[in-house]
Amino acid sequence: MSLGSRPNGPPRSIPPAWTSTADLGPNMQEALDALETYKKKDPAKVVVRFKAVGNAPIMKQNLYKITASNRFQTVIQFLRKELGWKAGDPLFTYINLAFAPAPDDIVSNLYKSFATEGHLIVNYSTTAAWG
Amino acid sequence: MSTYARPSPSAFTTSASTTLFRRLTWEGTVPLEIRVDSKELPANSDRGLECYYVQAPRVSYLPLLIPDLKRFLLDVVFDEAAARTVKEEDWWFESDDGNLLKWHWPIGLLYDNYTIAASSRNPTASSSQTIVPLRLVLHLAAPPTDKLLLSPSAETCKQAFMGQMKEADFIRWGNTKRMTSLRKAEQDGLWEGIKEHNFDEYWRVASKVTPTTTPTRPTSPAPGGATSLHSRPPSVDPNTGAAPDRDGAYSVRSVPVRIYLPDGPVLQDLVPPVLEDGSPNTLANILSTQVPLLFPASASDPPFQDLAHPLIQGILAPKETDVAWLGACMAGADGWVNVCVSLLQPR
Repeated sequence: MSLGSRPNGPPRSIPPAWTSTADLGPNMQEALDALETYKKKDPAKVVVRFKAVGNAPIMKQNLYKITASNRFQTVIQFLRKELGWKAGDPLFTYINLAFAPAPDDIVSNLYKSFATEGHLIVNYSTTAAWG
Repeated sequence: MSTYARPSPSAFTTSASTTLFRRLTWEGTVPLEIRVDSKELPANSDRGLECYYVQAPRVSYLPLLIPDLKRFLLDVVFDEAAARTVKEEDWWFESDDGNLLKWHWPIGLLYDNYTIAASSRNPTASSSQTIVPLRLVLHLAAPPTDKLLLSPSAETCKQAFMGQMKEADFIRWGNTKRMTSLRKAEQDGLWEGIKEHNFDEYWRVASKVTPTTTPTRPTSPAPGGATSLHSRPPSVDPNTGAAPDRDGAYSVRSVPVRIYLPDGPVLQDLVPPVLEDGSPNTLANILSTQVPLLFPASASDPPFQDLAHPLIQGILAPKETDVAWLGACMAGADGWVNVCVSLLQPR
């Protein structure tokens, strides 16, 4: 692959990673420790604002603090409980009136990518709108 | 070859190198070994033959393999009685270590994720140089609907795919206008292209929503000329003095990128194509920003050297790669650049 070559610069040599065989090295433990740190679930919460769409009922309280490490599926289940809807009742959720995230997307990731003015807007509807 | 002042990305003005890498990405495959759970094999099945091997496209999805899988099982394994009662709506997949499979992930991502996680758990065993298929168990009944979250049918898979395309569109531009302005037949054409594994059919539509790279400067140059007019992409003659491409890869708000840690969380954050100083954002920068414990910003920051390697579409990606270029040329069919972090170097 030739990416960003500079015609007047020094010739690019193949970095060692391409040519050496797989090595474990003394860094493996440090790397595994780093991964353990990243696996820890951050207890921080982010603000989610639920906004009704169409005929969906408006919630009395629509701002909630949700644990950032939760999957979006947890948010859907929470919303269902707050609305008092059963598992079979149709419930469609969207971010910013634009798209439906995968249920296993993490709330913190959605927040970092899509939050506006300090909260993540989750729209809910009884019918598929932007799906 | 390319017109540089075009108002919107189009299949007719994509540079040859962009098309080349898109085609290479599209043609990538991974080996799968799919075995029917022996407890569920219908009576009178031809045992010993119930393993299905396929070199599956990285950009495809498990539910799309079911038609061929079903044909194989009907031809080779099941007898007529079983064939009559088989219900593929109840079929679901598990990894061979008993984990429910995220069927809505592209097959290439599933493969890389499992291979990397397995090698991280068992570093010594993975020193061998052979390529190992991803071993899956196919269950024919009783899908665990509570844990599956969504039924793994081709239709739900298509909806999940469209959701990812729209999310990517929103990441890039702050709205989904490009996706929603596609006609229904065009949107369907994207999925049909994946189903049929047809590059031209897919890109006929995808080129309307996926930014391409152009040989113009990404931004007005910093004093002293940090970026050279000749720098990217190298195989196309640079155009001096053309305006930056409004819809190009370097003009997006953020590039759709996700970072997958072995056995660990998926990280997603805003990835601007160009940094505040005007230089292009690189893979090295997003790794040291989002995963600093494995990718230090410099050799004087702990841990003082890289402890892992980034794989994109199964290959080791050079860390100096522009993320904008990755978004234009090496994303999956759903528009996302999936960076799989591996502790071991690939073969």
